[in-house]
Amino acid sequence: MQLRYDYIVVGSGATGAIAAYSLAGSGVNVAVLDVGVEDERYRNSIPDKDFLSIRREESGQKEYFLGKDYEGIPWDDSRVGSQLTPPRKFLTEGVRRYLPFDSETFFPMESLAKGGLGGGWGLGCYEFSEKELQAIGLDKTEIRKGYDAVADHIGISGQKDDASPYCLGDLKNYQPVSDLEKNLDGIYSSYKKQKASLNRKGVYVGRTALALLTRDKGDRSALKYKDMYFWTDKDRSAYRSWMTIDQLQKKPNFAYHRHCLVTRFREHADGVDVHVWRTDIDKEEIFSCKKLILSPGVLGTARIVMRSFDHKKEQLPVICNPYCYIPCIQWRMLGKATEQRRAGLGQLMLFLDEKGDNFDVPMSTLYSYRSLLLFKLIKETPLNYSDARIIMQYLESSFTIAGLHHPERPTASKFIRLKADENSVTGDALAGQYILSDEEIALNERRENKIKWALKKLGCRPLRTVHTAHGGSIHYAGTLPFSESGDLFTVHGSGKLAGTKNVFVADGSGFNYLPAKGLTFTLMANAYNVAKNALKNE
Amino acid sequence: MQSREQLDQEAELISRYLLGVSPAGAERSSYADAMLKLDLQLPVFEQELWKSMMRSRTRMAYIDAGLAFRDPHNIVRRKLFTMLAILEASPHHTRYFLSRDFSFFYFIKVGLVGIRAIWRALVGVIIVNNIRMRCS
Repeated sequence: MQLRYDYIVVGSGATGAIAAYSLAGSGVNVAVLDVGVEDERYRNSIPDKDFLSIRREESGQKEYFLGKDYEGIPWDDSRVGSQLTPPRKFLTEGVRRYLPFDSETFFPMESLAKGGLGGGWGLGCYEFSEKELQAIGLDKTEIRKGYDAVADHIGISGQKDDASPYCLGDLKNYQPVSDLEKNLDGIYSSYKKQKASLNRKGVYVGRTALALLTRDKGDRSALKYKDMYFWTDKDRSAYRSWMTIDQLQKKPNFAYHRHCLVTRFREHADGVDVHVWRTDIDKEEIFSCKKLILSPGVLGTARIVMRSFDHKKEQLPVICNPYCYIPCIQWRMLGKATEQRRAGLGQLMLFLDEKGDNFDVPMSTLYSYRSLLLFKLIKETPLNYSDARIIMQYLESSFTIAGLHHPERPTASKFIRLKADENSVTGDALAGQYILSDEEIALNERRENKIKWALKKLGCRPLRTVHTAHGGSIHYAGTLPFSESGDLFTVHGSGKLAGTKNVFVADGSGFNYLPAKGLTFTLMANAYNVAKNALKNE
Repeated sequence: MQSREQLDQEAELISRYLLGVSPAGAERSSYADAMLKLDLQLPVFEQELWKSMMRSRTRMAYIDAGLAFRDPHNIVRRKLFTMLAILEASPHHTRYFLSRDFSFFYFIKVGLVGIRAIWRALVGVIIVNNIRMRCS
């Protein structure tokens, strides 16, 4: 096996895949090192049909809807990862063993899967505003190039409306927006009738820009409205990072190495040695490269960097968008059948921009509920299952779930650290703390109340607010903040890790601020640029 | 460990309680498989609860309602919940789970079911407390 490359990229998630794509396109010799867990159990068992047809016709549906070991029938209280259906559970396989995390206040999700957490991405694409980029530490002109390049590669669909300052931004290359499902169409129509009064209060509603094809692109086909996105990516209309990895594997200058958990690096005169724990044979192996791009995710990068520097730091800051969801009943949909042909994604967004400056804007993605099956909703009621089933069957089509993200900044109460753990494969574990101040809690609550007010105006009656544990948004950043100071455990604006010559960070570790908007698209744009910056030094 | 016959009886009663129908062969097998895989160990109190629930659908409804109100994660409810999921993930029972166009007056039935659910919870709490007192 070849162990020496010009460039090594760590991780195959959203940022690793795009960084590798950016590098391989220039002709240099690139390898991605990845643990690369794949779905061995379910990928071939789900038929190529829409959700309703499967429900009505397939006798074997229990296997993938509930899981071969019934792992899809949740019993505990946890709600993070409810989108991890049995066919998606591979996304977190092996994490407890190889990426132990210990905390009573912070519960992040990580992945060792091929394609990383991108395999469960909600597909929302948001261009950050100039103020947001400035707060993060990114340059607006540079990130523009990244946005355009990534959009060309992954395929985005959307439309210009009141949400586009917060989503599409200045993007020119996008496909037509997907058809809106009935549940959300009612809300959107209601918004259009009351636009003026809602806008006066800073409320803007519109179509989400999604990494979803509505026209064929290369070997990926347009959306077929099967409402199976929680279960399978068979038609490849939704962008997943592993698609980039698969595409790159056809190139002669690219290699993908699975079963490789990168543990640390050591820089020397000739380049960088990359130490890997081989998860298939339980042995260490050493790769080498001229330049290393770290992108295993913010927490993964933090582990690697903390192990690699001789100077040890007590703890690193971390930021993570606070997240809650608000189940609502939409009166106009009560007792109505859900249509067969639907996308089943978060196609509608609500933004609360009270100052009108596109900064510190909480956002809510609106979803209807169907393809995650009724029994999970029944479990949420304080009623006996028999009666709850009758009631929830009637209510199901009227459920609208508003998933709400808040913007976030670092404080002294939000940090991670690496501690010794002799029971772990790597000899250490991450630990962390995530505590919001009273002021932050009060601010978030005020915003939530405002959004609930807006939802009521739109015909959605909020039932309750469910705050997930910190970490539930699955958006993490800020462990190695952007800085030009050159201090260790920071990252230059170019992506270069301070204190190194040839190590770059392509994930969100440097972000000094987290807008509420989903950051995947901006992460990918940044990763594209970091790879280009790494090439510039050739 | 429970025998297949016992699990079959459980599947039958739970299905009749949840949907008012007998489960198909595949659903009975799935329930048995699930119970063998989960290997739920019922403490003394839960064993008494389950014995009482297995006497009839009506008792099952009341105790399920009482537990849903006071102890929703009680282990006996997991047996019911598992069967509920199995019944849903079957093409034979979609009419009990998929949304459809309900008549305007169906909401009256839903309202009455809601009232029944509250009644069952009130009675169920009393039954559960009585069983708890017998066990302590």
